Amino acid sequence: MSPFIRISHVDKTYESRRSPVKALSDIDFDIAQGEFVSILGPSGCGKSTLLKCIAGLEPISGGRIEVAGIAVSQSPENLGIVFQRDVLLDWRTVLDNVLVVAELQGLDPRPLRARAIELLRSFGLGSFVDRYPWELSGGMRQRASICRALLLDPQLLLMDEPFGALDAMTRDELNVELRRTWTETRKTILFITHSVTEAVYLSDRIVVMSRNPGRIAEIIDVDLPAHRPLSTRGEPDFNRYTAHILWVFSSMGIIKGD
Amino acid sequence: MRNWWIRSERLRWLTLILVGLLGLWEISVWVTGVKSFILPAPSHISREFASAWGFFIGHAAYTTGTTLLGFAIAVVFGVAGAIGIVYSKVLNLLFSSLLVSLNSVPKVALAPLFVIWMGTGVEPKVAIVVMIAIFPIVIDAVMGLKSIDPDMLNLSRACRASAFKTLWKIRFPNALPSIFSGMKVGISFALVGAIVGEFVAGSTGLGYVILIAQGNFDTPRVFAALLLLGLIGTVLFYAVDLAESLCLPWHVSQRADQQANPVAALGLGTR
Repeated sequence: MSPFIRISHVDKTYESRRSPVKALSDIDFDIAQGEFVSILGPSGCGKSTLLKCIAGLEPISGGRIEVAGIAVSQSPENLGIVFQRDVLLDWRTVLDNVLVVAELQGLDPRPLRARAIELLRSFGLGSFVDRYPWELSGGMRQRASICRALLLDPQLLLMDEPFGALDAMTRDELNVELRRTWTETRKTILFITHSVTEAVYLSDRIVVMSRNPGRIAEIIDVDLPAHRPLSTRGEPDFNRYTAHILWVFSSMGIIKGD
Repeated sequence: MRNWWIRSERLRWLTLILVGLLGLWEISVWVTGVKSFILPAPSHISREFASAWGFFIGHAAYTTGTTLLGFAIAVVFGVAGAIGIVYSKVLNLLFSSLLVSLNSVPKVALAPLFVIWMGTGVEPKVAIVVMIAIFPIVIDAVMGLKSIDPDMLNLSRACRASAFKTLWKIRFPNALPSIFSGMKVGISFALVGAIVGEFVAGSTGLGYVILIAQGNFDTPRVFAALLLLGLIGTVLFYAVDLAESLCLPWHVSQRADQQANPVAALGLGTR
């Protein structure tokens, strides 16, 4: 079976006035249908750029990206996307914010209301359906934006550091909820993060990236049980993975410790 | 009903201050014995108004009509123009330089030209109103349409939304607060435009009334017309303000128990 996403020898160069900046160099990996893959790296390693390229929001300079067998030139069909900032629309209620993706695609949102409310309820926002975004906390806002991404039952969910701006406890809660969502729906998820713990806890596979230029340092299969309570993070197996990743980063000179 | 309480308290104070000032004015005119063609007493002005209120209402209605018509045209063309400037490279290049130079011409100085072109009817007056009111609306609308979170546009593109859907569902509502602040400046400018038009030519409107009364040294009539203009201007401003709070209940400026505050609304200062 051919992979769901095929990223082959992708380069991305930003033209700038002084000299071109190489953001991505020879990125090459595949993602299978239903896989949860994290891209982990320090800031400036091009991980967000890579996501934008896969989403069809940035053109690539070389190589090829295919989603479901189709080369990406515009955004792939039926794509769910979550950004670091929730980008909820201030003038819409939480429910209408979830429904906006249907409206933008030219679909009638009315038949989707029930599904939207169900989704919001499953993320603990059942009593906030008719509230406005400014009445919600940061964690609740990001939950709403995840519901928005899930509304049309996308086959691919791209998440660009979605929990990066949240406090540690909210982040843990959302990690659990996202992992649960993935186990229930088995969507293909590509998750960008700079948190080692988050990447190991959530993923089947981690693409570790290095910077200057952005490139793949190592791809790690995470062989932990599918069911992962938060306590998994205390297990020796879990710590082996985090220790290994930290070692990769320090051997590249990204983390200077000791 | 806390909002009502604050508002009524403000209203009480406002009435008190106004009554006090009018009283002071009346007494000073009476004490100093200043001639009424220099400064008429408030009682004299109200007698003037009462003696010919039909006359004043007729002219006030004309001025208000001209202002509203011109303002409506300015809003429609201003917003449409702003969309054009934001979406078209050519228009953007053309206007980003031209708009500034055009705006620096004192538009009042164009009034005589409009009379040559359009005669002495209502048309040149409406044209002057449009001319003078459209600039703040275009400038603020362009600003509002441009200041958008790039990720909002990315979201829209990821949904493969059409350009029209992106404009209608995202860019335009996002720009509404800016458009309204342009409209608030525009509505005050619009009244100025209407009066200037009436000064230059024609035989109707409060501007015309003031001009003729001035010729006859009928100062009470000038004052009566001025007070009416002040009233019209205030009502028009608060009408736009009301429309804003009805259209944008979600916006930061409308969230708290706030009432219309012309100073804050015009960006002249903070409370």
